[in-house]
Amino acid sequence: MILRGALSIFGRDLIVLRRSLFSELLSVVASPLTLYLAFGVGLKGYISQVEGVPYGVFIAPGLISMTAVLAAFEESAWSMWFHRRVQKTIEEYRVSPITVYDIVIGKLISGFAQGAIKGVAVALVIFVLTPFSFPLRNLGLYLLFISLGAMIFSCLGTICGTVIDKPENIGRIQAVVIMPLIFMSGIFFPLSSYPPSVLPIISLLPTTALFEGARSALLTGSCGPLHLAILLVTAVIFFILAVVVFDRKIEE
Amino acid sequence: MSPALIIQGLTKRYGSLTAVDRFSLELRQGTVFGLLGPNGAGKTTLIKMLTTLMRPTSGDAFIQGESIVTAGKRVRALIGVVPQENNLDRYLTAQENLVLHARLHGMAPRDYLPRIDRFLELTGLSSRRNDFPDTFSGGMQRRLVVVRALIHLPRLLFLDEPTTGLDPQSRRALWEQLRTLRSEMTIFLTTHYMDEADSLCDRIVIMDHGASLVDGSAQELKERYAHAHIYELELRRDGDRYEELFQLLPQVTSLERERDSFRIVLRDEESLKPLMDSIQSGDIRRICLVEPSLEEVFLDLTGKMVRE
Ligand SMILES: Nc1ncnc2c1ncn2[C@@H]1O[C@H](COP(=O)(O)OP(=O)(O)OP(=O)(O)O)[C@@H](O)[C@H]1O
Ligand SMILES: [Mg+2]
Repeated sequence: MILRGALSIFGRDLIVLRRSLFSELLSVVASPLTLYLAFGVGLKGYISQVEGVPYGVFIAPGLISMTAVLAAFEESAWSMWFHRRVQKTIEEYRVSPITVYDIVIGKLISGFAQGAIKGVAVALVIFVLTPFSFPLRNLGLYLLFISLGAMIFSCLGTICGTVIDKPENIGRIQAVVIMPLIFMSGIFFPLSSYPPSVLPIISLLPTTALFEGARSALLTGSCGPLHLAILLVTAVIFFILAVVVFDRKIEE
Repeated sequence: MSPALIIQGLTKRYGSLTAVDRFSLELRQGTVFGLLGPNGAGKTTLIKMLTTLMRPTSGDAFIQGESIVTAGKRVRALIGVVPQENNLDRYLTAQENLVLHARLHGMAPRDYLPRIDRFLELTGLSSRRNDFPDTFSGGMQRRLVVVRALIHLPRLLFLDEPTTGLDPQSRRALWEQLRTLRSEMTIFLTTHYMDEADSLCDRIVIMDHGASLVDGSAQELKERYAHAHIYELELRRDGDRYEELFQLLPQVTSLERERDSFRIVLRDEESLKPLMDSIQSGDIRRICLVEPSLEEVFLDLTGKMVRE
């Protein structure tokens, strides 16, 4: 079977994830929940409505999406780095009769699974603890956006974990590139707050397509074809990039 | 029978450094082959290319007829690899490490489970199968890595310094294990232990600076280099004066001194007389011919300087 190798690698990650699931979930729920309480509840009295919805409702989908894609990024980046630099288990994978695709796809599915599990956990907590709700029929479309987002971030993580040798630099990339990109793209404030001159650039960011698209998908059920198209193209480009970079770098 | 391994002019450059330089070799099926060479000679680089971990700068090699350059995946199905550094997954138990390996090789549980049981039993790791490799001693981890490389019964087994860090008992146990495997597979190993190469390998290549220097069985190498005439000479007095004197003799190809003891390599048999003539008869305490060991051959060929 073509993905045998990828599934074996994913299977390995599942075994490891299962052992630490509880503590992982506990820690992953903490940060978006803090943000939700700080902004959604704390600022509620100051901000009444954003784009026609209460502020708490405005930021909730973005927090869930953010958790999912960050989890995908972190899992892919750290796991690739760890297997390559610390355990050297990548070499064990690479002397098996599987291909580069198997390794990259296996790690992608793992990143994806982490994103999905953690996103769901945060979503559940937000639903239980807050009055946030949405039309259930919109869920499918929302999940499509999140899946594409998780895939893009997983590819990005794979690339970082492949080319970066010093662990502190992965943290730096996250602080300097990933977090600004996420915060710039309208999770906490509407894009209409931007001056008109920068707005076109901001709206072309894949992260904008992701968070804006996901929110409108969840709250209104509109599919935002442009957003979807940007995400699809980005996902394909990043996947190819991840495979090529891995293939090049790993053979020195 | 076709050769198990054919290497044709394999070369690897890191920038300006040529780590492996047009290396060629042919191995018959079932050979236990030992690659020797000082630190940095290029052994690991050669193995990394042969196991498709690294792309050669030029040249090619064929494992059971499959090219490492164009048929990597088929090559990987035929080889087992024990890397110089243990690369076990410390988040998986010993058993899970082996199962993952078997699955990566596309094996079915009914094939790999009994084999894992048998190999673990054979290497005395059975009782620790559900423990994490972190909790193993270095020797046990090494054994586990060897077992892992054998699960899919490779045709060609690469071992990069398999016994480094093992106690004498474990080393001998591993040699025993490798000896029993020779009927089923070809073995390609590197080692810094000359006794290991001597007692285990049918064929030995000593390499340095990326190229092969000599090739033959341990016996052949020793015989060939028995012509290098090594003498140990102990003097009663005048060590300094004699050192200068010996250095001037054209018949002396290499000279080492510790106080009044010299280790002298002579060019040929005829060189002994001029040497003896240069020493005053009363000054010799002892002189003897050194039977070269594999280690002598190795040091002779690769020099005595410690590599950086
Ligand atoms: N990734 C790399 N980049 C640059 N140079 C390298 C790299 N890997 C190895 N080298 C160089 O290539 C040469 C051969 O190294 P190699 O590891 O193959 O030696 P070795 O024979 O296995 O040595 P040892 O007995 O110490 O294991 C050395 O000079 C080493 O410094
Ligand atoms: Mg080495």
